[in-house]
Amino acid sequence: MAKPLFELKDVYFSYMGKFPALCGVNLTIEEGAKVCVIGANGTGKSTILNMLDGLIFAGSGSMKAFDRNITSGVMSEPGFSRVFRKSVGFVFQNPDAQLFCPSVKEDIMFGPLQLGVQLDKIKKGVDIIANRLKINNLLNRQPHQLSIGEKKKVSIACVMAVEPDVFLLDEPTAGLDPATTRDIIDILLEENMAGKTIVTATHDMHIVGEISDIAHVLGRNKKIIRSAVPDEILLDCEFLKDNNLVHVHRHMHDGRIHAHPHLHTEHH
Amino acid sequence: MKNNRFVERSITGALSFFKDAIFADEEALKKGFLQARDARLKMLMVFVLILAALFSKSIVFIAGIYAFCVILALASSINIIFFLKRTWFFIPLFSLCIALPALFDIFSPGEKFLSFKVFFVPLSITKQGLSSAGIFFARVLTSVSLCVLLSVTTRHYVLLKALRVFRAPQVFVMTLGMCCRYVYLFIEIIQNTYMAIKSRAGGVFGIKNSQGVVAWNIAALWQRSYVMHNRVYEAMLSRGYSGEPKVIEEFDFTYKDWFWLGTAILILGLSLWQNHYLN
Repeated sequence: MAKPLFELKDVYFSYMGKFPALCGVNLTIEEGAKVCVIGANGTGKSTILNMLDGLIFAGSGSMKAFDRNITSGVMSEPGFSRVFRKSVGFVFQNPDAQLFCPSVKEDIMFGPLQLGVQLDKIKKGVDIIANRLKINNLLNRQPHQLSIGEKKKVSIACVMAVEPDVFLLDEPTAGLDPATTRDIIDILLEENMAGKTIVTATHDMHIVGEISDIAHVLGRNKKIIRSAVPDEILLDCEFLKDNNLVHVHRHMHDGRIHAHPHLHTEHH
Repeated sequence: MKNNRFVERSITGALSFFKDAIFADEEALKKGFLQARDARLKMLMVFVLILAALFSKSIVFIAGIYAFCVILALASSINIIFFLKRTWFFIPLFSLCIALPALFDIFSPGEKFLSFKVFFVPLSITKQGLSSAGIFFARVLTSVSLCVLLSVTTRHYVLLKALRVFRAPQVFVMTLGMCCRYVYLFIEIIQNTYMAIKSRAGGVFGIKNSQGVVAWNIAALWQRSYVMHNRVYEAMLSRGYSGEPKVIEEFDFTYKDWFWLGTAILILGLSLWQNHYLN
């Protein structure tokens, strides 16, 4: 059995002390796993990722990462903080928040520079990543000049430059065209094949089967209501409907309107 | 609905001017003389030339520096009409208005150059007044032109990084860069918000309603920028930022860059020498 990297035990969290976001979440993520956190809007997916990245901390309950209890005090320790940031990379939902440097190249270099990686190594890394993500032509561009798909790719490049062991991705394919979605999934699968842990929060049910071995579903009660292999969840139509994760698809068949739930288990 | 158009046009006009003035890269991406120069030495060169214009007491000498500036613009493939429009509007015209009273004997007594009457009040333009107003205007025009030339031939983020040549702290330069990045984003948000309002309301607003929309927009933007500020900080933390930013500084200069900086220093030297000689 693989080593657990993250362990959330009975975690509660609320924003400003009055808007509950997580209510008793239990979750274990193992090294090298492909995990999806799925749920309708406002169920706490992004909050879980923020917590896994050590940006917010459990109000009650506990979160362990790399065998340490994660608290604001622990994350303030320069030694542990550096190791943690080197090990965990977070692709934010909004690329405009993630791309804050004046040029794409500087954005990609930002992480390794802060973590004290040598300049020669950083430069080589930028070239390799740019080739892999096919963004060489974007390196000298300014982030505001990019399309949403390009911004997402650059956001992933920024995280890849740190060479983390764990990738946290918040809605990585939201609003992207099919080809860019495909590119991003391929990159994530390659990283997983190389032994990296991939944790994705999404409500894009098309990608769940591919980018996860196990899916955790967050319910309206803001706790994990089911954990199973993706196919099992994706085939449970009633469960998906109850949790706003499937829509009824209407189309014409022989001149008659025909309706059925839109399932995502088969590719056609 | 004329009033409403006034508010709308003011906002969209100001935003598009801001976007063009700061973020347009077309001129900076052209292959020209100044575009090929190292940003740090180019900034120093412009600074030295501005000093030369400010120290000089000869209008002919300042005009020479201005001519040099125009030649540099031409050598840098800058559209000269665009350049003159950008440099002759606003600041030089305002400074001309400020300098105008200094022409007359009321403020600058001296040798009369031209006398006339305005509503039976005798007025004279003096040679001393003409000279000091002319020098003031020429200095402003030359300085503005040099600054505009620097900004249009250098990408704005490279220009910010070049500020390090004046020992600006790293954190200051980085924050300034981030400000520019997000100012652009918020400009786009404002423009999109106006489009959305227009698509729903069809532009049928009175002046009061328009002012209300502007106020509401300011408040909404404030909130958005606050949220964005938190997210950006988290994104920085997530990538290892610990309070001391480390940023790469990549510049590359050639002997040509040093030659042109040397030329600018020579012009400054000439300006100072000429002052001494004239005195």
